[in-house]
Amino acid sequence: MEPIVINKLDKSFKKTKIISNLNLTIPKEKIIAFFGPNGCGKSTFMNILSKIIKKDSGTIENFNYEKDDIEYVFQNFHESLFPWRTNKENLAFPLQINKSTNINQHISNIYNKYNFDIDLNLYPYELSGGQKQFLAFLRAIITNPKLLLLDEPFSALDYENSFLLSDKLQEYYLSNKPTILIVTHNIEEAVYLADQIVVLSKKPTKVLAKIKNPLPYPRTLDTLRSEEFHNIKNDVLRIFQSEVKL
Amino acid sequence: MKKITLIGPIVFIILWAIISKLNIIDSFFLSNPVETFETLFLLIKSGEIIPDIIATLSRTLKAFIIAAIIGVPLGLFLGESDKIYESFEFVIDFFRSTPATALFPLFLLVFGIDDSSKIAVAAFGASLIIIFSTAYGVMNAKKSRILAAKIMGANKWQRFKHVIFWESLPETVIGLRHAISMSLIIIIVTEMFIGTNVGLGHRIIDSQYIYSIDSMYAAIIVTGILGYLLNYSLLFLERMYVHWAGK
Ligand SMILES: Nc1ncnc2c1ncn2[C@@H]1O[C@H](COP(=O)(O)OP(=O)(O)OP(=O)(O)O)[C@@H](O)[C@H]1O
Ligand SMILES: [Mg+2]
Repeated sequence: MEPIVINKLDKSFKKTKIISNLNLTIPKEKIIAFFGPNGCGKSTFMNILSKIIKKDSGTIENFNYEKDDIEYVFQNFHESLFPWRTNKENLAFPLQINKSTNINQHISNIYNKYNFDIDLNLYPYELSGGQKQFLAFLRAIITNPKLLLLDEPFSALDYENSFLLSDKLQEYYLSNKPTILIVTHNIEEAVYLADQIVVLSKKPTKVLAKIKNPLPYPRTLDTLRSEEFHNIKNDVLRIFQSEVKL
Repeated sequence: MKKITLIGPIVFIILWAIISKLNIIDSFFLSNPVETFETLFLLIKSGEIIPDIIATLSRTLKAFIIAAIIGVPLGLFLGESDKIYESFEFVIDFFRSTPATALFPLFLLVFGIDDSSKIAVAAFGASLIIIFSTAYGVMNAKKSRILAAKIMGANKWQRFKHVIFWESLPETVIGLRHAISMSLIIIIVTEMFIGTNVGLGHRIIDSQYIYSIDSMYAAIIVTGILGYLLNYSLLFLERMYVHWAGK
C-alpha cells in the first residue's frame, strides 16, 4: 500500500462547510491519530475515506476502496454489531463474507491471542458497553485489513481497559503492520498510540499541525511518564490551545 | 401465567353475573355466566362444537399461511426499493384501508361459495397487513448495520440476506400477529354470511336465529379463546426467535 494522498478535500452538509480544503498525506503502515474538537468533522472524514458518504470535491489518491482491504469501527459501534447473531457469529461474519476456511479455528486463535473476557455464546445485547466495543474491534481486525479506521475506539472503556485495548492494538499493529487511523478527542490517547498526531481545527476542518511521535513501540505505562511523551503532549496542547483560545 | 393475570377475568365474570342477576340487561340478550359455561361445557363434552372449532381454525390457518407466503416476500421486495414502494404505496394503503369484507361479493363471484372464497378473502386482508409491516421493517432498517456489512465486504444480496432481512424481522412478526387476528375476524364474518354448515361464525349466527342465547355466548367465548391462543402462539414464537427485538 502506498501513502494515501488527500488533496483539497471539501465536504458540506446543506450550507454548512464541514471540511474545507483539507490536504494530508497518510503514510502507510503507521498509526495516525486525529485529534480535534466535537463536531469538527472527524467522523465525517472517516466516512468519506470508507466511502460511506461522498466527498464534494478533492482527490484521494492511492486508495481504492473496492480493492484494498479496509475495516472500520464506527463511533456508534453499538449499532454495527448484529444482535441476531451471537458474539461468536458476529466475529465470524467478515470471515464468512470473505469465504475464509477454518472460521472456528480463526476465531479461537484471535480469542486466545487477545485473550479477552467475553462469553462468545452470548448475544451483543448481553454485553456491557465496553465489552461491545472490544468485540467490534476484534471483528474489525479478524480479517487482517490493510487499512483500519477506529472512531473513538476507547469511548466506552474505563482507564484500565483503555490500556488493555491499547496494548492489544499495538500488538496487532506490530505483528501485521496495517495503516491505522484513530479518531480521538483525548490528547493522551492520541500521543500514546500514534506515530503522527494530526491536530484538526474547529469546523470547517483543516489540518492545524502534524506532530511526530518517534517513541518506539510497544509503548507502555513507562512511556506515559517519560519526558519525551510530555513534550509531545505539550506541543499538541499548545496548538490546540491557540485554536480554541482556552 | 402469573396469578395476577387471573384477576381481570374473575372481576369480569363477577360483573357479568351481577349484571345478569340484577336484570340490568334483559336476559333475552344477556345470558348468565353459569348457564353459559354449562352450555359451553356440554358443547365440548358432547363434541358438538369440535367440528366448528376445527373448521374455523383450519380456514384461519390456511388463510394466514397463504398470506404469509405471499406477503413476506412481497413486503421484502417492495421495502427494498423506494421507487417501487412509492409507486405502489397508494394502492396498498387504499386496499389496506378498505375493509376486506367489503370485497366479499367480488371474491364470491371469483371463487364460488365454498371454503376457497372465505380463505381467499381472509388471505387477501391478512396479506396486505403483512406486506405493509414487512416493507416498513425493511425501509426502517438501521442504516449503520447495513453500512457495517458493506464495509466488511458484503455485496447487495449478502447485505439483504444477512442484515436487512433480520433488521426487518421484528416488524414482520408484528405484522404476522395482526394478520392472524385479521384472518380469524374475516373467517368468522364469512362463516356468518356466506353459506356453510360448520364453523364458529356459523354457530354464533345460527344460535342467534333460534334464540339459543347461551349457545351463542358459548360460541363467542370459544372464538375469543381461539383468537387469544393464535395470537399467543405467535407471540411465543416471536420471543423465541426474535429475541433481540427492542434491545
Ligand atoms: N448527515 C449529516 N447531515 C447534516 N449534518 C451532519 C451530518 N453528519 C454530520 N453533520 C454535521 O457535521 C459536523 C461534523 O460531524 P462529525 O460527526 O464528523 O463530527 P466529529 O468531529 O466526529 O464530532 P465528535 O467528536 O462529536 O464525534 C457536525 O456539525 C454535524 O452536525
Ligand atoms: Mg465523531
